[in-house]
Amino acid sequence: MIPLRRFLHTPEAIAGAILLTALFAMALSASLLFPGDPQAIAGPALLPPFQDWSLPLGTDRLGRDVLAELFHGARTSLAVGLAAAAAALAVGAVVGTLAGFAGGLVDEMLMRTTDAFQTVPSFLLALAFVSVVGPSLGVVVIAIALGTWTGPARVARAEVLSIRERDYVASARAVGMHPLEIAFREVLPNALPPVLAMSSVIVAAAILTEAALSFLGLGDPNRVTWGGMISEGRAVLRTAPFLSIVPGIALVLTVLGIYLAGEGIVETTAVRRGLS
Amino acid sequence: MSGFTISRRKMLAGSAMLLASTAMPISGWAQTPKKGGRLVLAADSEPRNLNPAIVASNGVFFISSKIVETLAEASFDGKDGLAPRLAVSWEGAPDGLSATFKLRDGVKWHDGKPFTSADVAFSALHIWKPLQNLGRTVFKDLAAVDTPDDLTAVFKFAKPTPFQLIRNALPALSSVVPKHIYEVGKIEDNPANNAPIGTGPFKFDEYKPGQYYRLTKNTDYWGKDEPYLDEIIYQVLPDRTSAASALEAGEIQLAAFSAVPLADLDRISKVPGLKVITKGYEGLTYQLVVEINHRRKELADLKVRQAIAHAIDKDFVVKTVFLGYAATATGPVPKNDPQFYTANVPTYPFDVAKANALLDEAGYKKGADGKRFSLKLLPAPYFNETKQFGDYLRQALAAIGIDAQLVNNDSAAHIKAVYTDHAFDLAVGPPVFRGDPAISTTILMQSGIPDGVPFSNQGGYKNDALDALITKASETLDTSARTDLYKEFQKEVAADLPLINVAEWSFISVARDTVGNIANNPRWAVSNWADTYLES
Repeated sequence: MIPLRRFLHTPEAIAGAILLTALFAMALSASLLFPGDPQAIAGPALLPPFQDWSLPLGTDRLGRDVLAELFHGARTSLAVGLAAAAAALAVGAVVGTLAGFAGGLVDEMLMRTTDAFQTVPSFLLALAFVSVVGPSLGVVVIAIALGTWTGPARVARAEVLSIRERDYVASARAVGMHPLEIAFREVLPNALPPVLAMSSVIVAAAILTEAALSFLGLGDPNRVTWGGMISEGRAVLRTAPFLSIVPGIALVLTVLGIYLAGEGIVETTAVRRGLS
Repeated sequence: MSGFTISRRKMLAGSAMLLASTAMPISGWAQTPKKGGRLVLAADSEPRNLNPAIVASNGVFFISSKIVETLAEASFDGKDGLAPRLAVSWEGAPDGLSATFKLRDGVKWHDGKPFTSADVAFSALHIWKPLQNLGRTVFKDLAAVDTPDDLTAVFKFAKPTPFQLIRNALPALSSVVPKHIYEVGKIEDNPANNAPIGTGPFKFDEYKPGQYYRLTKNTDYWGKDEPYLDEIIYQVLPDRTSAASALEAGEIQLAAFSAVPLADLDRISKVPGLKVITKGYEGLTYQLVVEINHRRKELADLKVRQAIAHAIDKDFVVKTVFLGYAATATGPVPKNDPQFYTANVPTYPFDVAKANALLDEAGYKKGADGKRFSLKLLPAPYFNETKQFGDYLRQALAAIGIDAQLVNNDSAAHIKAVYTDHAFDLAVGPPVFRGDPAISTTILMQSGIPDGVPFSNQGGYKNDALDALITKASETLDTSARTDLYKEFQKEVAADLPLINVAEWSFISVARDTVGNIANNPRWAVSNWADTYLES
């Protein structure tokens, strides 16, 4: 309870926590509040918000309920963001640990591969990957992870380089543990905290990248996504601006919430480290 | 000239017939055409190859039709719907084995050389027949072009070819290019493909990729006093929303081909100084079509196809997707076609209960999750409307228990997936009706077309009766017998549903009030604009 109280000490962290809770509540309640297909045609086309209380946020060009789409879109955004960040962190941590712990040729090969990935802008990489393989949720997750795993890999390697010289690693060697076992059971867990600290930035970036891909028409067309909603609304931007503004605001609040909450966690842990 | 104006005005007021006539220009009837001025308009694509004799497509015509002319142009009130351009008269032999064109005298190419029948013969034999996307079918039996004198070209066919078809093909397929430029080297690699030389009212001047195309006045043009404009600038504006604001800001004076999104038209029409024009595209009707892959066993069943046809609310599509700027379709020939259209075909009114009953009858019962079977649906990416209709169709199919999964592709990938790899179950396509079913419509139902031919029957559909009908119509010389065969063809297509015609639409132009003589022929946007003018 102490860390939680410390976490909730800063107003930014509280704001972030509220936004994140709201986002999770939206995503989890989507199929309870709006059962059935959110893309079903629910009313007249281009109904402005706050006109009809059964469709509080109005309807889009085909007459689909914007509020239902917003809730189901939260689900997609969050799922893609978390999955892509988890994949990037996992791959990054493993690659970084192996490179740092093995050293030599393995280190060279892994780190030059990382360099190669880092020289390509991650968004372009995702764009190219999705346009070649074809848009679907899984592909989008892989595409985003493909461009973001390098950061965690570098951080993990740097941590491992210092950890592998510690006494407990030497003693693990002395008792005859297998090097891979040492790397993943002794070194990696201790190298993780700074890597995890990057997670909020990665999740936020992944959500934005997913929205950008959908905006360009490279998202999964069978799912509601906020980026896709903005892109659809763009065609009628002058006559029905709410169609782009509503999901745009949702996106801003989500990214802001994740970032603030992440900052809060980093602050908390930093304070704790400072105290200890 | 003001006398002319007044008499014209009186005539308009007095004559109901003239008012009803589609030949009435939308505006400009009260003004005298002025000379001079630069017309700036929006271009949304930048075709690489500007040679309309090779690439007969609207994107190319939009720019090159001002430079390179055809033998004849479509017309609202001309005989057979045509107005003379490079040819002054045309006649088909009764046996269908030849067609004679008398050419215009005193026409010069932009480089000063005279235009003669040799140019027509060269274009027809060496470009239209072997190289042109559409000419390949229409001119497939063209054996020779005789040139008894400089102003006569006689097309000789190896097999009887209906003259009605040749006539209907003239506006889009008969762009004449200079022999003396194209006879050297490979035609496809000729530099004139990117900087065309023609006989038209405007000369090609400059192209800056990503910025503009500039055409300048041809002072040696054969039309008396024409052209009126000094310059035409095609400003490249690939983003549709920017065309509307550029018009409002006065940066451009014209946006054709629906460069302004349909949803913005209502607002734009209220802006003072701008006018919304729905005419001038009657000869360029696009059809919204659900293409069907008959290799899927479910879709090979006529009852399933009928159920899908009943599940589509065509009125909703016209009202919501096209915002009213379209018409519902009954079959493969659009309603606005004056020669071939028949309403006497089986129709499929919107009826979800009937669609469900048909699917039950066909043996595809709903599963526990309410779904009967899954389909892959590929909407063509070329237009906003085709993509939106794809979204609608997915919902319409969900209502009858068919789970459609959308697959989005870019243009190249879509063409490959549908027309080469056949990796689709349903596709949404926008084929163009070009004034005669034999030009680009029958190819959508005919069997035996090799894989990879875009915008053709790649759904594995085979109907011997329909194939026989198509072949017979292509050999029938008598115009009314041929027309009757195509009416029969429409009936058969609507009954057997090789594909489902949903709607027909054309484009909208938005222009400043100062642009005159707009939309005065059925292919106005892709005609030569010799009489277009700007008031100062």
